[in-house]
Amino acid sequence: MALVRIALAGEGGQGVQSVAEILAEAAYNENKQAIYIPNFGLEQRGGVSIAFIQVSDSRIGAPKFNKADVVIAMSHRAVARTATYSDKNTLFVYDDGFDVDPEDLPKEAKQIIAMPAINTANNELHPRVFNIIIMGAVIGLTNVVSFEAAKEALEHKLGSKFEKNPDLRELNFKALEIGKQLAENALKEGVAR
Amino acid sequence: MLKVVEETKKAFLTGNETIAWAALAAGADIMFGYPITPQNEVMHYWTRLAPKYGRDFLQTEDEISAGFTVCGAVQAGKKAFTATAGPGNVLMQEPFGMAEAMRLPIFAVIQQRGGPSSGTVVYSQQEVALTTYGGNGEGFRIVYSTATHQEIYDYTIKGFNVAWKYRWPTFLLGDGYQAKMREPLEMYDPEERGIKLEPTYPLVGLPGKIGEDREPQHLCNIYSLEEELYDVVTRLAAEYEKIVPELIEWQEHSCEDADIIILTHGIVSRAADDAVKALRAQGIKAGYFRPITLRPYPAQQLREAIAKSGAKKLLIAESSYGQFERLTKQEIYGETIKIETLYMPGVGIVDYDIINKVKSVL
Repeated sequence: MALVRIALAGEGGQGVQSVAEILAEAAYNENKQAIYIPNFGLEQRGGVSIAFIQVSDSRIGAPKFNKADVVIAMSHRAVARTATYSDKNTLFVYDDGFDVDPEDLPKEAKQIIAMPAINTANNELHPRVFNIIIMGAVIGLTNVVSFEAAKEALEHKLGSKFEKNPDLRELNFKALEIGKQLAENALKEGVAR
Repeated sequence: MLKVVEETKKAFLTGNETIAWAALAAGADIMFGYPITPQNEVMHYWTRLAPKYGRDFLQTEDEISAGFTVCGAVQAGKKAFTATAGPGNVLMQEPFGMAEAMRLPIFAVIQQRGGPSSGTVVYSQQEVALTTYGGNGEGFRIVYSTATHQEIYDYTIKGFNVAWKYRWPTFLLGDGYQAKMREPLEMYDPEERGIKLEPTYPLVGLPGKIGEDREPQHLCNIYSLEEELYDVVTRLAAEYEKIVPELIEWQEHSCEDADIIILTHGIVSRAADDAVKALRAQGIKAGYFRPITLRPYPAQQLREAIAKSGAKKLLIAESSYGQFERLTKQEIYGETIKIETLYMPGVGIVDYDIINKVKSVL
C-alpha cells in the first residue's frame, strides 16, 4: 500500500483525536507503518482540532505533511482551516449540515464532497457516534484499514463500555458501516471540481 | 528487580511514553521533574508506571530544583533523570553547568519547543545551542539528537549508560513532534540484547576514614583562584576530548558521488532521507549526512564525506534560524564547500521543502 495522508479536523469534543488514534492503531495492528500526531498547541483550546494520520507499507518520513490525500472537515470552522491541506490530488470532505461559504472551500481538490454525517448521526443513530461515522467514512474513502480491523480497534478501545451496554457495540458498528456507505456513495455522486 | 520488558515486543506509543518505558528498562531509580509542554507525558507515564517497578518520582517546585535534585540523587548513587523543554531548559542550565563541573552522570530529555522565550508549546529545533553549549561553561556534554521512536528507546538506554560510564551530563534531544506522535517501535530488555547496564555507585559518603583509608572526594564547582579554574577547565577539556572518538555517532549514505550533501539532524533527517531518495530517482546526485551526536560533533566524518564526494554544495536544513548551521560551521572551519540553508524556524520540514530547495540551488 502506498503512503496515504489523512487530515481530520473538527471542534474540541467532536472526537477527532480519538478517531485518529483508533484508526492509526488499527493500521498498526494490521502490521502497517502508521504515524498519528495531533496539533497540540494552544490553538486546540478554542481552536480547530486537527489530527494528522499517515499509513503506509514502508517507512514513513516526516510526521506532518503539506498536502493530504484525504481531508475531512467535521465542523464549519474546520473547512476554512483545512483548505490549505488540499491540492489537486486531495479528496476534500465536509459535512453538508452547515452553509459553507464557497470562498472557504479549497481552491484545488481532486473532488469536493459534502456528506450528511451530522444529520445521519442525529436522525438515524445518536449524536454520540458522529465521530464513528467519520471513521467509517475514512475507511470508505481510503481503505487504509480493513473494516474488520477497524471493528477490532473499536472493541479494544471501547470494550469495557460495550460490556456494560451491548447496545453500544451495535450502535458503534452500525455507525461505522453507515459512515463507510455514505463515503462510498458520496464518492460516486460527489461534486467534482 | 522486576523485569520491565519480559520479551521483545512491538508497541505503538508516543515518544514521551517511549521515554518512560525506556528509562524503566534502563533501570532508572528516580525521575525529578516539573511540568512543561511538550514533555508532560514523560512525567505522567513515569508516575503511572514507576510504582509498579519500585521506582520513585518527585515533582519539584521548579526546573532549577528539578535539575539540582537530579545532581544530588546521582551523587547518592541513584540512576536519576529529568525531562524538560523551552524555558525549563533555560532554568536547568545552572544545574547542567554544575554537572559539567563536577562530572555528574545526569541524564536529561529535552523536547524542544519554539522560541524566543515562551514561544510556542509546539515543535521546533530551537534548543540546539542551549542544549549543546548552554550555561556558563564549555559544553562538556553528550547530546543525542533522535529521529524515530526506536531511537528514542535505544538512546534513552544508551544515554544512562554513557552518562555513568564517562561521567558527563548526557542529553536526549527530541522535539514536540517526537514527544506527541505515535509510531511503532520494538521494546526490549537491554540485557537480553547483550547491552550491559552500567553500574551506579555513590560519589559522596564513601566508606573509610579520609586521610587513612582513602583520599578525600572533592566534587568542587567553585574555585577561588583564576589559575585554579584554568587548570581544572584545561583538564576537563583534555578528558572530554580524549573520549570524543568513542562517542561520535552519525548516519551517512549516497555521499560517494554527490553533487550536493543534505545535512540535517533529528526528525528533519527523516524528510532529508526521503528527499535524497526522490532526488536520486530524478537523476540528481544528492547525499545524506546526519550527526546523531551533536556534542561531540562528527566533524572529521563530515569533512571526509565532503572530500570523497567532491560535492560543490552543502544544504543545511533545520527547524530553527541557523543554530545547527553555526554549530556545523565552527566544526568544519576551513572547508570551502558552498553552504546553502533552509531555515524553517518553528515549523516542520517535509521532503518536498528540501527537494524544492535543492532544485533552486543546483
